[in-house]
Amino acid sequence: MAKDLPQEDPLVRMQRDLKRALQKKPQDIKWGMVIDIAKCIGCHACTIACVAENKLPPGVVYRVVLEEYTGEYPFVWRRFTPRPCLHCQNPPCTKACPVTATWRTEQGAVIIDYNRCIGCRYCLVACPYAARTSDFGEWYTAGTAELPGKIFGRKAAANDYELHLAAEYGRKWHDRNHDSPVGNARKCHFCLHRLKVGMLPACTTSCIGRATIFGDRTDPQSLVFEMIGSPRVFRLKEELGTQPSVYYLK
Amino acid sequence: MSDRWFKGLIILAVFGLVVGSLGMYMRLVYGHLPMNYGSFVPWGLWVAFDLYFLGLTAGAFLITILTYVFRIKLLANLGPLAAFTVLVTLMCEFLIISLDLGHPWRTYRFLITPNPGSMLFWLVVFIVSMWIIYVPWLYFLLRGHLIDWGNDEQRPGHKFYRLLAGSKRVYTPQEEERDHRRSRFLSYLSLPIGVIFFGAHGALFAILLNRPIWNSAMLPLIFIMAALLSGGALITFLAYVYQPDEKLIHPLGHVVLLILLSFLFLEALQFFVGYQSKIPGIVTSLNLIAFGPYWWAFWIVHILLGSIIPAILLIWYPENSKMVATACFLIIITFLAVRLNYLIPDMAVYKLEGLQNTFFHQRLRPEYVPNVYEWLVSVWVISLGLLTFLLGTRWLPVIQAGKGEEEHV
Repeated sequence: MAKDLPQEDPLVRMQRDLKRALQKKPQDIKWGMVIDIAKCIGCHACTIACVAENKLPPGVVYRVVLEEYTGEYPFVWRRFTPRPCLHCQNPPCTKACPVTATWRTEQGAVIIDYNRCIGCRYCLVACPYAARTSDFGEWYTAGTAELPGKIFGRKAAANDYELHLAAEYGRKWHDRNHDSPVGNARKCHFCLHRLKVGMLPACTTSCIGRATIFGDRTDPQSLVFEMIGSPRVFRLKEELGTQPSVYYLK
Repeated sequence: MSDRWFKGLIILAVFGLVVGSLGMYMRLVYGHLPMNYGSFVPWGLWVAFDLYFLGLTAGAFLITILTYVFRIKLLANLGPLAAFTVLVTLMCEFLIISLDLGHPWRTYRFLITPNPGSMLFWLVVFIVSMWIIYVPWLYFLLRGHLIDWGNDEQRPGHKFYRLLAGSKRVYTPQEEERDHRRSRFLSYLSLPIGVIFFGAHGALFAILLNRPIWNSAMLPLIFIMAALLSGGALITFLAYVYQPDEKLIHPLGHVVLLILLSFLFLEALQFFVGYQSKIPGIVTSLNLIAFGPYWWAFWIVHILLGSIIPAILLIWYPENSKMVATACFLIIITFLAVRLNYLIPDMAVYKLEGLQNTFFHQRLRPEYVPNVYEWLVSVWVISLGLLTFLLGTRWLPVIQAGKGEEEHV
């Protein structure tokens, strides 16, 4: 029999934190994320979960895992740094947008109104973290031959993923043609559509090392609040004054 | 311009429109899908051309300021031609930047949901302001001739000219004096608007964080000088083509030389400060310009063909109009390399360590080479501008209006 009592899985605690946060007035919530890079094993599950959740097309990615190599053989180290949108509290991207199509919500998430965005891509240039990508209208199945199958054509079967409409911002988006979000800037939105129904962001639930912690950073009982208080905490390019809502643990 | 040259250029413009229509078809039907820019280099050839056209716009601005604010009478004859040129280049700038937008039909959003905190918003405000200044300015300069052409029953399209002249048949000295006063007022107005307009283009880039080459107070000044250089060269070249008067060309040549040397000094300063700072992002970007795969665009196109040879021609043959025009022509045609060198290298450096190893897709790479469709769209826009300019110089009195009748300057 183990000497220590089994610890509660951080996901269970985060779920409880989320439930508590959602009972607050929306303006009192400030979403935040902590990523413990010592726990990240570079499996890229968060990237894939995000792509699947948001039905992201080729070339559009919200959360990447940066891979750095240091040292020389045989003393080589790899370091993984997941990089979602950092949801800056002083975001350079929202200031750049000429038509106020992107802004920071009162809960601290930086979002985009796809139907307002003109696709100038100035926000992409303005983001110091390269956290925004443009949707150029690509399809995974572009160029796939249409071959007859017993039930579906092969392409029809492959298309199924792409025809499944993404639920970003709580609404079903158009089929992929010239309409938004094609032609728009796109970025991580902290899975607001999931949070709304009491689910944690896809990257957080898919992290097998529990390296991603999410919650209300103003709630003293929350895990994310506790982690932000760690002496190991730092933020990317803090010298720029962007004040990201995503923190890292060394 | 001789009829032979005129017809040749018309044929060239029509050919460009036909060839370029393939690029336009691809852009309008398939959107940005066939184009080569991506998310790490989100601005490509079309934005470089936007900056290029902006520079040409500055030529008219330069002439206006020298003529009406600094009262240099010698240049007054170029006024209408310069104003017409600015409208054509503004049209090209507007067209190519609209095609670069993901949703060009939403530009009305600038009116409905503007963001006054965005430099891009102010850029649009200043582009519209330039239209608001230059359209009436050109009209006031041409009105007398439009009335004359409207009264000439033998002239083809005289009814159209009469319509443009507001059905007026007589142009009284009082009206002429009033139009001159208005022109002068608009040129005074254009001085601050123009300087801010050209500076705002630089500021659009200079204010961005974590952009090693752009993020500098010097950039707006460099953009103003670059605009005046390419624009001044264009107007000097056009003056040679349309009004080959030595008394006009030679002083313009001196002005272009002065701006060229000032621009090269600023550029050298940027390289010197950049390399001395030893900041990796800046050094990598500068290395890309000077020693990257497109080193030839910098050293051969910009430095040799666009700077050294024109400078030699302007210094050694300042009294030879043909040489001055050749130098200006070289500056104009090579200036796209300058614009591309300011635009691309800063974006072509990864902004985060490790980004290069993370996600592989052609849209997520820092390498960018404009593809054939991007070039074809650019050819279409340039051809449309050329055709508009050529037809305008024939069908509007922009050349005739400026032949020594500006005694009110």
